[in-house]
Parts: sequence; C-alpha cells; structure tokens
Amino acid sequence: MQKETGLADGGTAGARMTDVAGIEAALVARARRGDTRAFERLYREHAGRVHGLCLRMTRDPQLAEDYTQETFIRAWRALGRFEARSRMSTWLHRIAVNVILERRRRRELPLEFVEDAAEYDTDNDVLDTPVEEAELEALIGSLPPGARDVLTLCGIYGYAHSEAAGMLGIAEGTCKAQLHRARALLRARLADGEKS
Amino acid sequence: MSTNGDRRIGALGELPQDIAPARDLWPGIAAAIAAGPAGAAASPDAGAGDAGDGEGGGARAARRRWFVPESPAWALAAAVSCVAVGVWLGRASVGTVPVAAATSAMPAADAARAQLASYAPGARFERTRDALLADLGERLAQLPPETRARVEASLADVQRARADIQAALGRDPGNALLQEMLLNSYQDEMRVLTAVRETWVTGEEIGA
Repeated sequence: MQKETGLADGGTAGARMTDVAGIEAALVARARRGDTRAFERLYREHAGRVHGLCLRMTRDPQLAEDYTQETFIRAWRALGRFEARSRMSTWLHRIAVNVILERRRRRELPLEFVEDAAEYDTDNDVLDTPVEEAELEALIGSLPPGARDVLTLCGIYGYAHSEAAGMLGIAEGTCKAQLHRARALLRARLADGEKS
Repeated sequence: MSTNGDRRIGALGELPQDIAPARDLWPGIAAAIAAGPAGAAASPDAGAGDAGDGEGGGARAARRRWFVPESPAWALAAAVSCVAVGVWLGRASVGTVPVAAATSAMPAADAARAQLASYAPGARFERTRDALLADLGERLAQLPPETRARVEASLADVQRARADIQAALGRDPGNALLQEMLLNSYQDEMRVLTAVRETWVTGEEIGA
C-alpha cells in the first residue's frame, strides 16, 4: 500500500504524477535549482521519519529537533550529490546518523560498541500480541547508545546490517553483535518487568 | 521457546517510523539555507564538500576532522579559510554561559535578549582573546606574506560570519543551531589566533 503523501500535488505543472518516486525526483530537481519551496515539500514529507530516528538515537526531544534541522540543512547543501537511484529517505537517514555521531563525539559521550561478533541471533520473531509502544520505547531508550543505535536502525527502520554498519562506521559483525546484545538486554528487562 | 518478551521484541518493526517533531522546524531550516548565497544548492559541488551527505558517511565521520559549521555558505567559507591555515588545535570550551532555565519565566522580549546575551563569551575567554589580539599585528608582520594574507582572510571570514550569526540570532534568539554556530565562530577565531601565537613562539610554519 502506498503511503499517503503530501507530494501528491507536486511536480511539474500539468503533469499528473502518481508515482511518489517520480514526484520526489522532480522536487529534488527543482530544489537543486534553488527552489526552496520544493525543498520544503521534501522536508514535509520526510521530517517525521528523520525526527523519529533522531529522537530514538538521542532520547532527547530538543537534540532530536536540532539534529533534524541540521540534517535538512546539510541535505540542502549536498543535494547535488544525491543520486536519483537512491531512496531519499535512506539518504536523509545517513545524513542524520552522521550528524548524531559527530555531535555525540563532540559531546564526548561514550559509545559502547561490542567488538565480539562471535555469536548472534538470526531468529525472526513474529508479533501476535498488541504492541505496548510506550513501554517498548522506554526500554529501547534505556539501552547503551551503541546497542540502541543498531536496534533503532535494524529493528525499527529495517536496515540490513550492512547498511546500518555503513551508516554507523562499524564492522558488520559488530553491528550484528550489537543487535544481539540489544535484544538480550531488552529480553532481560522485559522479563524483569513481568516478574515485578 | 518463545516468551512474551520475545514476541514484544519482535514487535519492534511495528513501532511507528515517523514521529513528527513537536514544532515546525521548517522556519529554522529556511532561515539557514536562505542565509547562504543564492543557489547554494544549484551547483552540485557548491558547499557540499563536507556536508556529511551519507555517502560512506559513518566511516568518514569516524575520522577526526575539522569542524565545518552547520550550513550557511558564509560559515562554510569561514571554516574553509581556517582549514587553509591548516591548524588543528582541538575544540576548547569558550566558557560561555548556558541559557538559564529562568528565562522561561521572563516576558518574551526579555527572555530573548537574555538568551542572546547568555551566548556571549565569558569574561575569561574575552581576556584571552583580547590578549591574543593585542599584539596580533606584530605577529602577523613576521609571517610570510602569503601566510599573513591567509590568516587575515580567515579572521575576516570568521568575524563576518559571526556578525551574520548575531544578526540572525537577533531575529531568532531561541534558535539552538544559530547559538551553536555563534559559539563555533568564537572557537574558530580562537584557533586561528592561537595558531598565530604558537607560530610566533616556536618559529614553525603555520600548518607544519
């Protein structure tokens, strides 16, 4: 099912474009020529997804807003290097992750990446009960940053380990180990919660 | 054995991917991109040299590198000029005072002024800067003409950028991005001044 999009009335005047990717490409082309209204349309379309990632990786609403702003500002500057075959949403997420990692280093927050990738789960859990979102989000927020980053990118946004590892600048094995670690921590904390 | 916890962990993918920010961020973005030269995005390479555009981003970001201010091209120009000086002195605190929570209880205009004032450099930083500026001319005079020109251009860029940022902050005092850019401009200037001083003391070429 195609997502409802604010891009539906965009594109070249007179042209009825039903393909979101095509509309997006047209908006990107206009933005590259300096059309800020076209870029605003792209912002409106993608702000929620970028902000969602920033919020989950920072757990700080103010920082998440700042980083979302910075992501789009950098995107504007770098539009000329956006390749049409890429997905805009993935490209924006890469920029957002760069922003977050740079700021995190500048704030000297420790990253706890696990280098041992010897063992990790590959099982695929299937949900058959309602999601208790708030509780799950809170538990994700309690994870160490490295594990939280990987869980957010792979678990929530569905990136492959290779993609997430590339964004985070870590080895794919480390990414897998972090996901294993994140899930183990979540599992333990959920079990603790059920006992209490 | 699948537990309830396992099933809930498996539900991660069902969490919403979009979380709208609590406020409209576009005005801040629009102000920032408008502050750059017209058509900043028109040229594929304009200002995009270190934009962190995600192409191999993580690995690239993992390397320590010169800080490039957030977006407007004038800030980028300032940073590029500083890079031309070729120094890396680390990011020292400029000793500014963070925005006090108390400003939330002030009338809007007063809070805005207080917020702007709170991002002025601290007294100790000002003294250090004044000391470095005091004999800058003498130090510059001892540099090779080409180096001197680069340093002077760097300082002019940084100071021009700071004036622009302060003007923008006057219109939007609560903009966190502009506040950080202002701090960065002070740090950029301090790096250049410190590099000149160290060159004067050690006799080494800047960027050596």
